[in-house]
Amino acid sequence: MSRIDLSGLKKYTVMFALLALMGLFSLTSPYFLTWRNITNIINQNTYFIIVAVGLSFVMIGGGIDLSVGYQMSLVGVVTAKLMTVYGTPVWLAIVVGLLLGTLLGIINGLIVTRIRIFPLIATLATSMVFQGISYMISQSRTLRNYPEQFLVITKGKFLGIFLDVWLALLVVVVASVIYYTTVFGLRVMALGGNEEASRLSGINTRRLKVSLYAICGFVTAIATMVMISKANTTHSSFGPGTEFIALTAAIVGGISFMGGEGNMPALVAGVLLLGVLGNGMQLSYSLFTHWGVDPQYIQYVIRGLILLGAVAFDEYQRRARQGRHRTKG
Amino acid sequence: MNTEYVVEMKGICKRFGGIHALRDVDLELRHGEIMGIVGDNGAGKSTLMKILSGAYLPDEGDIYVDGCQAHIRNPQDAFRLGIGMIYQDLALFNNLDVARNIFIGRECARGPLSLFLDKRRMYRQVEDLIRELRVDIRSPRLSVARMSGGQRQMVACARAIAFESKILIMDEPTAALGVTEASKLLGLIRSFRDRGLSILLITQRIPDILAIADRVFVLKGGQRQGVLDVSQVTLDDVVTLIVRGKDRNGVQAPSMEYRSFG
Repeated sequence: MSRIDLSGLKKYTVMFALLALMGLFSLTSPYFLTWRNITNIINQNTYFIIVAVGLSFVMIGGGIDLSVGYQMSLVGVVTAKLMTVYGTPVWLAIVVGLLLGTLLGIINGLIVTRIRIFPLIATLATSMVFQGISYMISQSRTLRNYPEQFLVITKGKFLGIFLDVWLALLVVVVASVIYYTTVFGLRVMALGGNEEASRLSGINTRRLKVSLYAICGFVTAIATMVMISKANTTHSSFGPGTEFIALTAAIVGGISFMGGEGNMPALVAGVLLLGVLGNGMQLSYSLFTHWGVDPQYIQYVIRGLILLGAVAFDEYQRRARQGRHRTKG
Repeated sequence: MNTEYVVEMKGICKRFGGIHALRDVDLELRHGEIMGIVGDNGAGKSTLMKILSGAYLPDEGDIYVDGCQAHIRNPQDAFRLGIGMIYQDLALFNNLDVARNIFIGRECARGPLSLFLDKRRMYRQVEDLIRELRVDIRSPRLSVARMSGGQRQMVACARAIAFESKILIMDEPTAALGVTEASKLLGLIRSFRDRGLSILLITQRIPDILAIADRVFVLKGGQRQGVLDVSQVTLDDVVTLIVRGKDRNGVQAPSMEYRSFG
């Protein structure tokens, strides 16, 4: 049976789904489609957008990083402890945090390329290590009361918009420029599309992979700054779980689980779709309780089903392409 | 070293674990000739060519290009020496368009530190290349994923010769093609020779070799069996050498009859 090619549609599916979901929740709650609520959704999701962009580098390159949430835990604790316990200047604590994030990414990349462990398993293992170290450093204490300069990241405004929204926008724009206009971006797409062919084309695939994990670690560290600044407190349990939202958003946003595909606007729409889902269900509380369902818990079920659906759609597309080659070969 | 040859491979050995894929193989390719590389499955044809293209490192042996010793440690080294290879699976990127497939690894770059792609130059050069090769590809912006087997083969050919290659290695180029497409490709290979390229052509289709090659190099069990001048041999001679090889004294076995499966 022939398969229908939906690759062109895939780019816009998530945008349509986001608009449809917003339309649905505007009917179920009068508070949903208000300026305040919409800006609230965007503000609450800035660090998810940034992490998803970081993760996209690894995923488009054909890999996966399940440790991003645990990297956030470790980077957050180290940065917070430097500022609150050791009185380190804010700029220096941020620089150390960003370098640490990059280092954690490099470690993941080296394990994947040198020891040649499947990325899913390698990053699952390092996530445990990162979280353990995070707890050892924080001694499971909550770190709070950051200097005012650090809180500017999420409390400061430019042209009436919070700085972390600008930061997320900047990260998305820079990633788009890298993917679509640079030699590096093309090689990332090629690596995800066909790793062996990339090697035969003279690309140093090992070095490229390590650099992708390093970028992911660096961008995740940026997201960590936003996350802990927004909360004005940190604990080792802050961060884990983010990887699931970022991964779901990436796949829903059209980044192929197999690598080689993806676009940033759809990725942002993927994050916002999950954000709208959580927010809209909370605002439609009475409707869900009327059906005897707690919206706080059912949203996990729905998020899981969305991830399954997106992966199934991605797999369908891949098989459709393979079928076409067999027919034409 | 003899500069009559554009490539000389001397005493090439390659092992994969306990298996000797190649044993002390010598190969000489003349300037501007098409040399067929034939042998049964597992004879070592692709391994030998992958060593020349930098995909594999030899365990022993030396390679000379234009009489100078060449150290080919990776595909980039081979590109620099003017060696291009078209792999059996074509090694294309289905997620990229024609121009990007051709330029990947050797992109036209601009801007500070050559960070940015010079897309305009890439597309223009590929348009010129398509016109020059007279191949059936409508636009350099077409996605390779949507192309037929013949068109994909043409993209792989264009990529292999786009960067002033002087030695072209083709691994089973006609294997997945229909009669018409295979015939077109053989014509294209001839035109490459006319442009001065030296070509190593791996194939199981012996009649193809007899139709376009100047000499044929025969491998069996990872060992060189001989090099035959195509103008002086028959199909049966080639098949006999492939199947029976030479005896211990280096004498070729008597001819056997070739039966085509096609």
